Amino acid sequence: MKERHKGIILLLPALLVMALFTVYPMVRGVTMSFTNANIMRKTNDFVGLENYARMLADEVFWISLRQSVSLTVIVVLLQLVFGLILASAMTQKLPGMGVYKSIIMASWVIPVAATVTMFKFMAQPDIGLINILLRDLGFAGMNKYWFGEPQVAFTFIILLHLWRNVPFYGVAFLAAMQAIPKDYYEAAQIDGANALQRFLAITLPGIRNMIVVMVTIHVLWTFNNFDFVYLSTGGGPINRTDVLPVYVYRKSWASYTVGYAASMGVVMLILLMIYFVVYTRLFERQETNR
Amino acid sequence: MSATSRQKLLSAFLSYLVVFISLLFFILPMLWIVYTSFRNTDAVFSGQVLTEAGNLTLENYNTILSVTDFPRYFLNTVIIASVVTLLSLICSIMAAYGLSRFEVRGKNALIMSIFSTQMFPQVLLIIPMYLVITTLRLLDTVLGVVLGQIILVLPFQIWMLTGYFNNIPREIDDSASIDGCNIGERLLYIVLPIAAPGIAVAAFFSFVVSWGDYLIVSIISQSQRTATVTLVLQRLSAALLVRWGQVAAAVVLTIVPTILLFAFVQTRLVEGLTGGAVKGE
Repeated sequence: MKERHKGIILLLPALLVMALFTVYPMVRGVTMSFTNANIMRKTNDFVGLENYARMLADEVFWISLRQSVSLTVIVVLLQLVFGLILASAMTQKLPGMGVYKSIIMASWVIPVAATVTMFKFMAQPDIGLINILLRDLGFAGMNKYWFGEPQVAFTFIILLHLWRNVPFYGVAFLAAMQAIPKDYYEAAQIDGANALQRFLAITLPGIRNMIVVMVTIHVLWTFNNFDFVYLSTGGGPINRTDVLPVYVYRKSWASYTVGYAASMGVVMLILLMIYFVVYTRLFERQETNR
Repeated sequence: MSATSRQKLLSAFLSYLVVFISLLFFILPMLWIVYTSFRNTDAVFSGQVLTEAGNLTLENYNTILSVTDFPRYFLNTVIIASVVTLLSLICSIMAAYGLSRFEVRGKNALIMSIFSTQMFPQVLLIIPMYLVITTLRLLDTVLGVVLGQIILVLPFQIWMLTGYFNNIPREIDDSASIDGCNIGERLLYIVLPIAAPGIAVAAFFSFVVSWGDYLIVSIISQSQRTATVTLVLQRLSAALLVRWGQVAAAVVLTIVPTILLFAFVQTRLVEGLTGGAVKGE
């Protein structure tokens, strides 16, 4: 057997699974977006761009789109900043740091459903830890169910994302920082560079690859993330936390209008593709300028 | 005190400050839920932080494990997550070995397109996936859930393992094939033992993703036969009158397996997940 064929045969099981459960559904999803498909109905008709036209007039779609984009931008930026702070702290060789490093990523491995349940409990009025502490500090008037408050629910969604992912950023950046040769720092110190200058001139460029990787995957994950919002608020109160994945899910499995839901899914995909192309272009250009 | 030692003291102080605040934020919620799971109902609903020792109890675990169907869902989740791990590992190890060791036409384009499926919105994929699984008569079966979840992990696993295999010198395989080993033997006896740390991370990743999945299970599972712990958590905490002590016990039982497995892979996890980006430029 030719070597080339052996390679293909090894790839076959994975490609088969992906063809059946990723590629085919993807193609089918795109074609479905041009139909009036409904889970409750056996047949459906081609309706052209009707779903896309409907989207333009759908207020909830625009709210969800706007909130999806702002959630992704805010969350990834904050994660980046806090991740860098965490990593810088961890580079210090101090007693107890080893234990800290080994437990800090625990929040990343536990199921999102468990995280959300924990925070929902802490946000309960009267019996939740947040309200107990506020009361003891003299703010009894602030007693409320935090995920049910239109003004703060969105902030709590951001907190959930940070809680899960910041340690991952921290540990990843730390690994990259430790790969930077020590003598770079020594040389800079001799030249009289202060801590901030060393961070900007040595650390940041040194972990640039890691930053690019982390930002890329987290933009995709955050924008596509469904369970944080769905399990904590379901998009409420009054759409204040609605994001596209949750709206698409509700349109498919609560209203059964899968054709319309698919068209919004396609818009999500197009947006992510645009992001991906622009971001890699930008990154490549920087690369050649260096 | 000299300037450098003062600077060292300052940076140690700042680091501990970051450590302290982050522990408060990241670990306290987990400790709180563990603590709650051992408090009796009166204590949980008292609105006080402290509980007298007499009010600490195993009652919540007792109820969750003997009165509710939780053990059944727990078992379902163990089975589903194990099968997902096993099947996805078989597929991804073979694929990664193929990509790493053989000339495959359009290899780079293939790797790129496998990875770019990460971009596909899962909420869009599950609509037709539901139809495919219904057509295959796999709705509400373990296999149906497993096949749905595999695609969540496969692209990442292939990407991760291809990187791992690429770091293992080719000469090791070559000398084995001179000794008359076929592909299967080479993979099983030579490459896998060397790549074991990477494979452990890949296995951990797929187990944890499957264990924590809500999206796929919520549409493919229709009954107790295939419901998993994440579905149950959602139901328990959305009830009209939530028994938080019992919910806390259920949360702890859901978290524990993932934390235990995490203890095994810990340090290697990041290296595996970020695929060699550690090495900088």
